[in-house]
This record gives sequence, structure tokens and C-alpha cells, in this order.
Amino acid sequence: MPGEAYCVSISDEPETLYKRLSLLVKGHDKAVLDSYEYFAVLAAKELGISVEKVHKPPKKIERLTLLKSVHIYKKHRVQYEMRTHYMCLELKYLTSSTAAVYLEYVQRNLPEGVAMEVKKTKIEKIPEHIQEPVWDTLPQVEETEVKS
Amino acid sequence: IVIHCSYTGISIHAPPRTEKMAVDQDWSSVYPTAAAFKPASVPLPIRMGYPVKRGVPPPKEGNLELIKIPNFLHLTPPAIKKHCAALKDFCTEWPSALDSDEKCEQHFPIEIETVDYVSAGTSIRNPKARVVTLRVKLSNLNLDDHAKKKLIKLVGDRYCKDTDMLTITTDRCPLRRQNYDYSIHLLTVLYHESWKTEMWESEKTEEDMEEYIWENSCSQKNALDTLLRIKASENVSNVTEEELLASEVVKNYRNSVIALKNEGETENNVSQYKESVKKLLNIQALP
Repeated sequence: MPGEAYCVSISDEPETLYKRLSLLVKGHDKAVLDSYEYFAVLAAKELGISVEKVHKPPKKIERLTLLKSVHIYKKHRVQYEMRTHYMCLELKYLTSSTAAVYLEYVQRNLPEGVAMEVKKTKIEKIPEHIQEPVWDTLPQVEETEVKS
Repeated sequence: IVIHCSYTGISIHAPPRTEKMAVDQDWSSVYPTAAAFKPASVPLPIRMGYPVKRGVPPPKEGNLELIKIPNFLHLTPPAIKKHCAALKDFCTEWPSALDSDEKCEQHFPIEIETVDYVSAGTSIRNPKARVVTLRVKLSNLNLDDHAKKKLIKLVGDRYCKDTDMLTITTDRCPLRRQNYDYSIHLLTVLYHESWKTEMWESEKTEEDMEEYIWENSCSQKNALDTLLRIKASENVSNVTEEELLASEVVKNYRNSVIALKNEGETENNVSQYKESVKKLLNIQALP
């Protein structure tokens, strides 16, 4: 166990809030995705993140039919298929630091051959320049005549 | 450790590490990080692969299938708990006042959606990552009646009437930050333009109207005309238009016509229209 103290610096900038974080994990092997789901759900629970739902969209199979031989023999073909399994994990109500910590942890332990898409929904206040229409505050400008 | 005699060709292997492992050892020190499967370090009798005829799958020694598949031996539940306990210092809490979706929407009406992509390949970049989607409900913006109608006309397909949600998707800039700034710029421009009233907007005709307005329409003129003629033929004293407009029958008729035009023809609407016309023209006898 290291004896040095890790410095945790706290900055004053306001945190961005994420209403929903949706992780879609894609892989060729269902068993790997199942294990990864167990890991991701346990990590979220330990870090105090509420898991909305975990669902598995149906797999997609991409099939190719190619000629078996290098030259002629059109009637003899070989078929390959690529199976992509999906697993979708939806998390609710995260702050930007919690999201950064969770995503880095979960992405560093992403197994080989598995891809991930993260959809973040950030919530924000209406910016100041949209609160009031600007035409009320502008000084009155005389209309210039159109020179034809 | 292997003792090998190159003369006779005999090698004596030391027993594998699994024989010396205690049952209650600390597993996270055996597999602290992601590593390939080492059969001499994992004390489990695993068999993997296609079984021989009338036999069992091959054992773990020299088994390529076990080495190929990614293993989660470094992520056992106690190891995950240890990692999370160390990471918990860097997490912040969600504000407890925003515990429902409605409260989030009331205080933070704008939603920005961005997508990040992680995959193995020659490049870590993904061109789809620059797309930004901005969603806002028009009821949260400071718009009056004319501004709201003008905004909906300007925006066209991007507004959904059922959920009252305006969705702006930007991907014309190469960076995500630029797309976000552009979407905010679009929202600002739409907002300010919809408050302006141009000179040519006064030429708005009946076909441009979003909803049916009964005042000053042919239906109103015809109804009043008919009623005045009925009253004149019965020789009642001159009833003024305002009195006719304020009477119950005309109000009923007005409501039923507006319902028919705005909501379409449903059984309810058509029967309501029938009743109101019967009362207006005083023909109760017909079924």
C-alpha cells in the first residue's frame, strides 16, 4: 500500500449535470457482455449511481456468401456470418465528476473486441441572452430609406 | 522452474503455483490487472473447447481457447469493491433537490445530447462524435402568442406538437464545441426573430392561419345573416348583432364549428354540431 498522500483538489467551477447516461456495449461474444454487465452494474452501485434499467437489444447477424474456389465453380459457395450482441445500460442523475470517474473506470476495463457508445444528456439553464427579446433594450434607430 | 538435461532430453518441471495457493488468499494480488489466462496461476479445474468423441472438453493446460477469450479474473467482486472505495473520493453527489424529471426540467429546461464512441482500431477518432442535439420545450421559453406561432413556422419539422419539444441537431462544424455553440446561436436567432413583426406579416391570409378563428369568418357572417333574416321575417324589433353574438345558441354553434375545424371530424364533434344547428334554426322535429 503506498504511503504517499494523494492530493484531491476541489475546484470552484459549477458542475455540469447529466440527466441520463446511456451506455451501449457491442461485442461478438454474449458471455463476455454478460460478465461486463455484472461488472458495470456492481461498479455503479458501489459508486452510488442509480441504474435506471439494463436491457439487451436483440443481436444483429451480418451474413456474407462468397465463392469457395479461387477460379470458376460458381455453384459452390461458402457462407460467413458476423454476430453483434448488444447490451444497454442506462444510468440516471450524474454530476460531471462522477460521470468522468465512472466512465474512465468502466472504459479502462473494457475487454478486447468490445466497443462502447456513450450517450450523455446534459441539462442546462436557459442562457441570459434568451431570457428577454433584445429589441426592447436596443436604442431606437431611425429607419434609413432604401435607395433605389 | 524447469530442470532440463540436454543429454538425455529429460525435463523435470516444478509443481504449478496452484498447489501452493491457500483457499483464503488475496486474489486481487494474483490478478491485479487484465492479463492472459495462465493455467498454472488459476486454481480452477476448467475445461473448454469442443469435446472429443465420447469424451470431455480438453483441460486447461495448453488450452488456446481459454487464452483467446477475454477473462474477468482481475475484476472479481471484492476487487471491484476495493477499486470503487478508492475512487469514491473523486465523485460528487447529485443535488438532492432535483430528484424528479419534472424538477430538472423546471430548473434546467435545455437538454444537450452528445455521443462518445470507444472502440479498438487504427484510429481513436469517430466522425459521428461531433453531432450535438439540443432539445427544449417551448413552454419554458419567454414567448408570446405571435412569437410562438412564428417560431413554429420558422422551425418546421423540428417541432413536435404532441410533446411541445423543439429539437435542433447540428453537425455542420468539425468540432463538438463548435456545433454546440452553433446550436445555441440558432436558438438565440430563432427566439429574437420570432419576437420581431415584419411589415409583410400583416398580409397573413386565412390559409396561413394555424387554427380556425371564428370571429370575422364566413361561418359567423352566414349565421348572423340567417338569424337577422329570421328575426326580420317574424317582425321582431331590431335585434343588434352584439346581442345575437352573445346569445347561447350562437355561442354553442361557434364552439361546435371551432371543434370541428381544429380537431377534425369525430362522432362527438359532428353530433354536437348537429345539436347546435338544430337549436340555432329552431328545428327540433327532425331526428
